[in-house]
Amino acid sequence: MRTQLTSIPKTNEAVVVEKNSSHTNKNINDKVNKIMKAKIKYNKKAESEFFVDNSALAGFTGERILYMAVRELIENALDSCETHHILPDISISLKIYDQENDLWIISCQDNGIGIPQEKVPEAVCSFLTSGKYIEKQQRGLFGVGLKMIAAFSTKDTDNPIRVWSKSADEANEYFFELRTDIGTNKPIVLSKKNTANSRDSKIKERHGFRIETVLRARLPPVTKNKIYDYISQTSIINPYANLTFESDDGKINFERRTTVMPNPAREVLPHPAEMDLQTLKKAISNFVNQRITLQGVLSNSFQKLSSDKAKEIISLSKIETKSADKYNEHELINVVNVCKNMRFQSPNTDHLSPINQEIMTTGITSEYVIVVNKEISSNNADKTQENRNLIQTKILKPALTSYSQRTCVVNNRPMIIECGIAYGGDISSFKLFRFANKIPLLYDEGSDVAREVVSEVEINKMGITKKEVKEQFFNPQVKTDRTVELLPLHIFFHICSTKIPYKTAGKESIASEGEMKKYMKACLSDLYRKVSAQIRKELKMKDTENRLRLYKHYIPLIVDAISDSINVDKKKLSDSFTSLVEKHVKKEDFSDDNNHIYEVSEIDNKNTYKNSAAKFEIKNDKISTSKKKVRQNKNINKTDVKQQGQTTMDGFNKKGKRQV
Amino acid sequence: MTMQNKRHQEIVTKIKKIMKNVSTDLIELHKIPVLDLPKVGYDNTLWSKEKKMLTIGDKTVKISPDTIKKIPTFSQYLVMANAIRRLIEEDMESTIRGMYYATLSTVGDEKNKEKFWKNQDNSDDAIKAIELLTKIPREEFSVTSKPKGMISGPIKLRVGGDLIDCSLGSRATSQLIPTNILDVEIEDVKADFVMVVEKDTVLNNIRKSGFIQKYNAILMTGSGEPDRATRIMVKMLSEKWKKPVAVFADADPWGLGIALRYKIGSESLSYDSERLVTPDVKILGMMFSDIYDYNIPEVARLSASDEDINRANDMKKKPWLQDKQWQKELNLFLKTKEKCELDAFFKHGFKYLAEVYIPTKLRQVGII
Repeated sequence: MRTQLTSIPKTNEAVVVEKNSSHTNKNINDKVNKIMKAKIKYNKKAESEFFVDNSALAGFTGERILYMAVRELIENALDSCETHHILPDISISLKIYDQENDLWIISCQDNGIGIPQEKVPEAVCSFLTSGKYIEKQQRGLFGVGLKMIAAFSTKDTDNPIRVWSKSADEANEYFFELRTDIGTNKPIVLSKKNTANSRDSKIKERHGFRIETVLRARLPPVTKNKIYDYISQTSIINPYANLTFESDDGKINFERRTTVMPNPAREVLPHPAEMDLQTLKKAISNFVNQRITLQGVLSNSFQKLSSDKAKEIISLSKIETKSADKYNEHELINVVNVCKNMRFQSPNTDHLSPINQEIMTTGITSEYVIVVNKEISSNNADKTQENRNLIQTKILKPALTSYSQRTCVVNNRPMIIECGIAYGGDISSFKLFRFANKIPLLYDEGSDVAREVVSEVEINKMGITKKEVKEQFFNPQVKTDRTVELLPLHIFFHICSTKIPYKTAGKESIASEGEMKKYMKACLSDLYRKVSAQIRKELKMKDTENRLRLYKHYIPLIVDAISDSINVDKKKLSDSFTSLVEKHVKKEDFSDDNNHIYEVSEIDNKNTYKNSAAKFEIKNDKISTSKKKVRQNKNINKTDVKQQGQTTMDGFNKKGKRQV
Repeated sequence: MTMQNKRHQEIVTKIKKIMKNVSTDLIELHKIPVLDLPKVGYDNTLWSKEKKMLTIGDKTVKISPDTIKKIPTFSQYLVMANAIRRLIEEDMESTIRGMYYATLSTVGDEKNKEKFWKNQDNSDDAIKAIELLTKIPREEFSVTSKPKGMISGPIKLRVGGDLIDCSLGSRATSQLIPTNILDVEIEDVKADFVMVVEKDTVLNNIRKSGFIQKYNAILMTGSGEPDRATRIMVKMLSEKWKKPVAVFADADPWGLGIALRYKIGSESLSYDSERLVTPDVKILGMMFSDIYDYNIPEVARLSASDEDINRANDMKKKPWLQDKQWQKELNLFLKTKEKCELDAFFKHGFKYLAEVYIPTKLRQVGII
């Protein structure tokens, strides 16, 4: 900690002297010597000060401050509910407080387990104070996010941080006004009162937590959109949460779409291959004064390490048997070295909390997006409450979805990779969604492993060629070399692990570690194969649609050829032609299309059978129909094209499922 | 000229009638119009024993704008019909390629576009359809192809007002056979017989050898697949001028196919056989047996492809190849799986083909 700050008390004089004397002894240049003597002082810095100075480490930089604040608050709220299997109900609000000075008031309320009153000030204000320093899959890990918000608020405004907490262990709701003493990493409690049953009570549920704070930041449109994305994507991966978001642009709600919650993640013992001197010493210190052997410590502190295995390790380490706390570091490093070279069983995976097929499918079949309504903004001030909202939610219903999962071990930690895709329907373009431990990752997509995976898995696994896609999904607005990005396809990757290999501390992109990428590719390939029949059928339908659209363009050519040759009322000719054609063509077109659907679905069954391990799902309200019934429907008009497609798709789905 | 004008008038009337029927269907009868035309292709081609040529059957196709697959075809036919009408009314003529360009366009909007013609084959088919609908060959509505047939020898042609003497310098060059064959009259033929070869390279070799002068022959080639003008020219020389016609092609199923175009016609033009086919032509070579009878060395022989074998098997079943001679030849080919080009005779010397092989063959049938 080389620094020139002098205001910090505990200066480590001893080190300074020692350093200086060593320089003198070496008789180096006088000038340098002088500078060193004069400038170098070794200080200890409070954690709070360190993080405020290096806020980029936690992602709190310039324009991202409000985005990070929203994100940290939501993540804490979700963790607080989920750990105790409470269906989350979260309201978050971000409103301008003082336009002139760029002050925003941000608040977040949840129905989680709250924080016991005596812990509240530290939990909010003191950096690196967290209940999360355990080996467990969690959204937050570092105990930094909330504190960062508190510190920034203290640093930039004179407003207190207002907190309401109703802990599950206590009957009362407490209200706090807090500030952070950045110099000492200690909370300053301006006021504290019991607000249970009082007018100031904010938490109606049995337990919960609410925080309100003022931050100084700018909110450029980019950041605003990222906040929207963050919230809507959170609702995709946590469809069991009810989220409300309020801003100056309006209030929107992301409704809970399922009451199924993932099993909470559990704490897990570290894997012995990950052992280092520090973890070993810490393990021993956990048993201090318990008169326990090293063998006992090892087998009780690490997974996949039986008592026999521990005995083997100790004998291989060539150390004498004594009370565990009596070993010196030299002896212990032998134990570590032995473990590094020893083979252990793969780590457990049952402590992880993937969202699994049911929840993922719920999330991606009713994908919420925020629609910004630009038109109402200026001139229509007198609309109803609902219409005054500049933002609204819209639910995208895809034509089909599919899910696949793989488990792998990365850096001796288990990892579950979940992948889902949603195709067609309301989805009109390509998008890659990345999630890690149930939080959306929005920045740095280009450097994320998921991006590479999408680029590297060949589209022909879907049974379609690049050429077909380019022809059928040509879109002048999409400029990309990657064919897959022309498809109306959403790909979702969710990585669960106790330690996600983030590329940066800002938790935005994931590095490809170990065999992770291989497994991700396998997942995506599975899904491509599973939807191949449907995509092919969609392509056919799209082809038909395209041609149907083109069809109309031939009419003028014919009309011109006729009217050029003979005397005829051009308009009358064109009108009667168009109306005739509209009546007749679709009918014919249908019988054609039915055949395609059936051909495809037969091939499809085989495919599904081959990949029977993979699960397949299509959500559809339509009841399945037999081939016979579809035939009867030949005369339905164009708008029914899709429905019919879905019906048969559904029919297939049933067959497909039986085989799985 | 008046004759031609009258013919032109007939075509325009027929095209207008087609247009009128379509518009009446649409405006007055409110029904989807149908263009009914004879089906052209292998499955509607019949062998006429009496005429000894391929003729068209009575199957028809109905082209109607009632499916997304057929509407482009329907519009292509009408657009082509209109273009032909304009060509005639402007008193111009055009090649089939010219018609393709004259009617070229794209259909659709920015997002969804396709070419009106995928390639020239489409527009050629449309021209054919107009021939079928009007029952008038395209030469009569001044749509021709690029000339590729060649003629050389003591024959005089009158094209329009110009006289073409094909014997002029006939040792050095040949005349292209004009494709506007209806404008061509044969003024005079001094030759004793007509010899047709498959390829222009072979024709050049034979001409250069002085064959024309020595045997008083007319040399012709269709340069591969013969165009209509070449076929009509052969027919005129055979039937109107009573000259014997001999055909030589390569000793492979493909070459035999080309020789048969003159003698029995083709599936794709079966509707026009009466005008194009000359059943009296004699296919003299190159026989598969000639490969061995004339000792073509192995190095100059080619091995047959799968396609050749399939084609030969197919030919063996054809009613017009049932006589013993042909069956023997085809069986030989299927056994040896070897084929040979006429050019292979050059291996025996540059003059061998013109001075030994062809005269021998002609003598065998008494043409010389």
